[in-house]
Amino acid sequence: MAAQNLRPKVVELYKTLLYLGRDYPKGYDYFRDKLKKAFLKNKDVKDLKQIELLIARGEYVVKEIEALYMLRKYRTLKKRYYPDSV
Amino acid sequence: MAGLAKCARSLLSAPGVTRCILPRLSAAGLVNYRHNAKQLHSCTVSSQILSLMIPDIQQSFVRTYSGKPPLTIKMVEERVLLVLRLYDKIDPYKLTVESHFMKDLGLDSLDQIEIVMAMEDEFGFEIPDSDADRLMTPKDIVQYVCDKEDVYD
Repeated sequence: MAAQNLRPKVVELYKTLLYLGRDYPKGYDYFRDKLKKAFLKNKDVKDLKQIELLIARGEYVVKEIEALYMLRKYRTLKKRYYPDSV
Repeated sequence: MAGLAKCARSLLSAPGVTRCILPRLSAAGLVNYRHNAKQLHSCTVSSQILSLMIPDIQQSFVRTYSGKPPLTIKMVEERVLLVLRLYDKIDPYKLTVESHFMKDLGLDSLDQIEIVMAMEDEFGFEIPDSDADRLMTPKDIVQYVCDKEDVYD
């Protein structure tokens, strides 16, 4: 029963990640496939603690992707100001 | 307008006066002056040529802001089915209004979430999770969208 309470969280995480994936450098389709596989891999996890850990990991990935986009933006801007830099 | 035109004409007839008055005119006055000067020039062009030169700008200038043409149930249904047909995991030939996403089309709950997100994009409003769980057939989605957009008939 309690596992059902975590379902909205998982759904929200999936939606957030899908939304972020639209700008993924390797393309949306690549990201979507990977994401789906990652979620399906853990579909049989029943333990509450385990699920919460996995959600936390998903939220960590969200932050990583956001950081990736910010870094990409920063690099693009830097290149425009200093074309010779990496 | 006619008064302004007359004023501009008198200004044109005395170039010296124009030069000393113009700097004192405000920007708005300057624009008016230019506009009237153009009108004076166009008097020499026959109206027929003028109508050829100026493209027909009688297009609709109605502003709809964020308004959109009214939806009908038929239109909603077509748009829902179009979105679903374009979704790569659905076989377009198997798809009907009644087909169940999981039982008939072999999708899983993650695909269903993706479909709901696509519908949010298509119709431009957010679908809360509690409602999203119940949308299992295209017919459900059509019904839901019609309820939200106040489409009845």
